[in-house]
This record gives sequence, C-alpha cells and structure tokens, in this order.
Amino acid sequence: MNFVEYAVENYDRLLELSLDHLAVVLVGLLIGGVIGIALGITVYQRPHLRNAVLNVCGVILTVPSLAMYALLLSLLGTIGAMPVIVALVLYSLLPIVRNTVTGLSGVDAAIVESAKGVGMGRWRRLLSIEFPLAWPVVLVGVRVSAVLLVGVAALGTIIGGPGLGELIFAGLRVITSPNAVNLALLGTLGVVVIGMLLDAAFLLLSRLTTSKGVR
Amino acid sequence: MTDMIALEQLTKNYPGQARPAVDKLDLTIPEGEIVILVGPSGCGKTTTLKMINRIIEPSSGIIRLQGEDVTRADPDELRRRIGYVIQQVGLFPHQTIGRNIAAVPRLLGWSRQRIADRLDELLHLVGMDPATYLGRYPKELSGGQRQRIGVARALAADPPVMLMDEPFGALDPISRERLQNEFLRLQGQIGKTIVFVTHDIDEAIKMGDRIAILREGSTVAQYDTPETVLAAPADDFVKEFIGSGASLKGLGLARVREVSLADWPTSQISAGREAARRALDSSDHGWVLLLDEQRRPVRWVEARALQGEGSLDRVGLEVRAIVEPTATLVGALESMLGSRVGVVVVVDGSGAFLGTIDMRVIMSAVEVMRAAAHKRVLDDRRRVRAGQEPPANAIAAQ
Repeated sequence: MNFVEYAVENYDRLLELSLDHLAVVLVGLLIGGVIGIALGITVYQRPHLRNAVLNVCGVILTVPSLAMYALLLSLLGTIGAMPVIVALVLYSLLPIVRNTVTGLSGVDAAIVESAKGVGMGRWRRLLSIEFPLAWPVVLVGVRVSAVLLVGVAALGTIIGGPGLGELIFAGLRVITSPNAVNLALLGTLGVVVIGMLLDAAFLLLSRLTTSKGVR
Repeated sequence: MTDMIALEQLTKNYPGQARPAVDKLDLTIPEGEIVILVGPSGCGKTTTLKMINRIIEPSSGIIRLQGEDVTRADPDELRRRIGYVIQQVGLFPHQTIGRNIAAVPRLLGWSRQRIADRLDELLHLVGMDPATYLGRYPKELSGGQRQRIGVARALAADPPVMLMDEPFGALDPISRERLQNEFLRLQGQIGKTIVFVTHDIDEAIKMGDRIAILREGSTVAQYDTPETVLAAPADDFVKEFIGSGASLKGLGLARVREVSLADWPTSQISAGREAARRALDSSDHGWVLLLDEQRRPVRWVEARALQGEGSLDRVGLEVRAIVEPTATLVGALESMLGSRVGVVVVVDGSGAFLGTIDMRVIMSAVEVMRAAAHKRVLDDRRRVRAGQEPPANAIAAQ
C-alpha cells in the first residue's frame, strides 16, 4: 500500500489524533500563556528578578523532552495527558515571558509618561496603554511557543499522552513491517501540518487584534 | 491677582548626586499667566515642572494648587486637574485622536454626549476639522498636528493649570512659529495658568508673561517680565544667557560691509624701516601691516623684525587672512581663527587696504544683532497678542 492510500484509509484515526494533539497543545499554551504573561508583567520593571526568571525559563528549555517526561512521571506519579500538559506549560514559558518583558519595556517612555500625566493609575496604565502596545510582541512569543509545543507534544505518547505521537511510536514498534514508514510519516506529517496551521492562525490573530494605529 | 501655584522650599535630591537637582525653590505662579522656566540644560527646570504634577516626587517642600497643599494628595486625581504637554507629545498610538483627547474626561466619568460635544469644541479650538480627524490615528498626522492634539488632550477637562515641557521643541522652525502664534491666540481665549519650560530664550521672550531664568539647582536668577529681563538683566549670568541666542546664524547673514572696521597701523614698504617702526610705536598693537605702492597688504611685521637695516620685502609674515566687503562675518571669523595675528584684513575690489576685523568688531556686531533680534521677538509677540496677523515672513513661509 502506498502512503496516499494508507493515509486515506486511516483518515478518521488521523483526524481524531490530530484533534487530540491540537487540544493538548492549546491547553498547555493557554495555561503557559497566562502564567508567562503574568510572570512577564511581574518582572519587567525589576531587573534582578527579570534576569532570574528568564534564566530559569531558559534552563527549562534546555532539558531534553524525553528527560522532562521521565522526570514528571516520577514527580507527579501519573501518566496520561496531565504530565504532558505540565511539560508543555514549562516549555512554553521562555518565549512568552521574554517577549512580554521585551514588549512592555519597549513601550515609548514618553507614552507612559503622558498616560501618567492624564491621571491613569498603575493598573489602568498597564491594561489600557502598555499591554495593548506590547501585545504584537507578546503574541509573537505565544506563536513561537505554539509551534515549539506541537513538536514536544508528539513525544508525550511515551507517558501515555494523547496525540499524533501514537502513530510515530507505533511505526517504531513495528519497524520491520511494511507499514512502519507509512505510520511514522503520517504522524510526522500531521505534526508539521498542525504546526503550520497554528503559526498561520496566530499570524491572523495578531492582525485582527492589533490596533490600526500601530500596524 | 491671586497665585494659582505656589512652590515652597521645593527640593529634589537624587540618590548618589552630591547637589540637589532642585534646591529649596520658592516660586509663585499668578493665575491666568504664562510663566516660562528657562535656563541652560541641567539647571533643573524640567524637574521643577514635573514636580508640580508629581511625575517626579519632591524630596521635600510644599506644592500648593489654588491654595491647597497637594504635596501628598492622590497623584492621579491631581493630574486630572492639570493639563500636561510634553515635547514628544506622547499620544497613545493605538487609540484614535478622539479617544486620545477624551482620556481625562473618560477617567472623570463624563457621559458620552458630553465627551462628544467637548471633542468637537476642542478640535475647533486647535483649528482642526473634527469630521476629518477624530477617527484618525496619531501616525496619520504631521508633527505639528500631533502637538495640536497634545494641547487639545491637555485642555480636555478644562483644567485651570497647564504644564508644558518644551512643547514646540521637536518641530521644524516654521511649524514651531505657527504653533507658538496659534497658542498665544488660544491663550487669549482660554486664559489658563501655564508653566512652560524651554531652553530657548527667544521662545521664552515671545511666549512668557513672566520669565523665570534658572541657574543650576533651579535657583531663580531673575523672575520678571520679558521686557524687564531684557532691559535690566539681574546679573552676568542672565546677561550671558539672554545673549545666547542664534548669534552664529546672524553672523552667517551679516556682511563685512555692514560693520564698522577697526583701524590698524600700516606703513608703505617703500617708506622703509624707520617709518614702519614709527607706525608701530604710535599704536598699542604688536604688529604693523606693510602695504605696497597700491596700498595692497603685503606683510605682517613685529617690532623685533624691524630692527637692523635692509629692504622690507621678506621680513615678517605673509598676509593671508584677507576678505572683501561682500564676505559674511562667519567667513571673516574663520579667516581670523586661521591667522597668526588674529586679525582679518579687509580690502576693496582692487585689493587696497580698507581696515581690519578683529574679535572686538565681531562682538559688537553680535551685540547689535542681538538687540535687533530681541526687539523683533518683542514686536512679534505684541502683534500676535493684539490679535493681528502674524508677520509677513511667517505667512510667506507657509
């Protein structure tokens, strides 16, 4: 059976696994986004804390994903989607925190000063002026994380996580069978397509949510 | 007339700096006047301004607004009572012009209708069409239009006081002059109490009802009307500061023929050494200028070189710094700086000696130009305030 025939035949399964994959990535990204943006807002005006947090996030990203899954498995004592999502959240932090910090620090000091000058308090200034202006940069961070997580999630199958990893690992298990390559290729291709779709979706989101005045 | 703002012993210390940026400043701002804080950079004028709305918190001292001590009041509520305009304008780029101007009214919780009416009124006030501009974004406006919107935003909730930090400083000279004139006309209608910071003495003279000239530590060197500051500067610092205008620019426009030349001892080469020595002795200069038969300058000679005997053709220095009456004073100054003697020789079209230009000639020319420039600024200001048309050159420039 050639690859196209195989893909058509396993279309339902592919779609199901793809949706699972997308779901686990989006949940991880959502939680990571909330934590990462909150962290970025907390540290951007505190240089020491900012460097400490960015360093920790950087170190997390250097941990190989296999090692991370093994570690979380023993730490959390459970398999399935939960430890995978925890791993995704951890991996998503660096791009999001870093871009939040960069975006907020990049807001023109004169704009912040005039926001103060019209009598906006700390939080109003952050919510209605600084964050909206930092938003395109923050969103780039989220977009980078999204693509990163799609790949990392594929390995989550080894601790029972959902998603396209199942096809890839199934291919590995039956490496001598004629369908091994088809399986692995199908899983990989699915991962790539999801990555590209997410990338495009965030690009579109950025267009739609950025004020005309700063585009 | 009552005082709108009173600063009492206002002080700002920055950690790690030996001297306070603002040192025990006492200053009162009368209601309805434009008071200019002017001084060299680093004198603390901007720090002083920003302490009034507490963008910079004072280290000690008291700020009174309409008699009320606001030194410890809620800074956000204080700022809604004070219009604030800065050089970089600081419009919110992601918001429309309408929303930018409405910033303070929205914070104060005005109704939609009241805000809409006010926006219309404000845009007319700053001479822009509401229908065209309310929905635009800051980046779609020119620098001058942006600062008009900056002024409109500061005026939005009709605050009694406006603080302006070099508001026209980033504009090109033509836009700056237009906005200055417009603003003076506007002030004629609204009569706000305005504190205005600039480093440009010409702008201070033009815009101010009163000028506070500040030296280091925001110490008041003189606080008076522009006319008095110009006519009776309090000390050498003030005198020097009001002379710091665009002298070099003026020197680039003035011609050598417009100044009275300095005399200089000369002697004909053919008259010999004795005549040259006599010319030198009878003056208090160290050099004598030797001329040829056609009175063209040839050599500069010192007393030492005139001792002994012989022809004068080869003694002393060749005369290099020579200009004609059509040269600019900048050109003359440049030649002077390159000359060993420190003097430029002026010759007529045939090369014959007319006189010399030295530092004193340049300085007195600068004095004359300054006086004329200040008179022009004062006249200009009077004309604008009387509601007459701006001077012809401003119209031509548009």
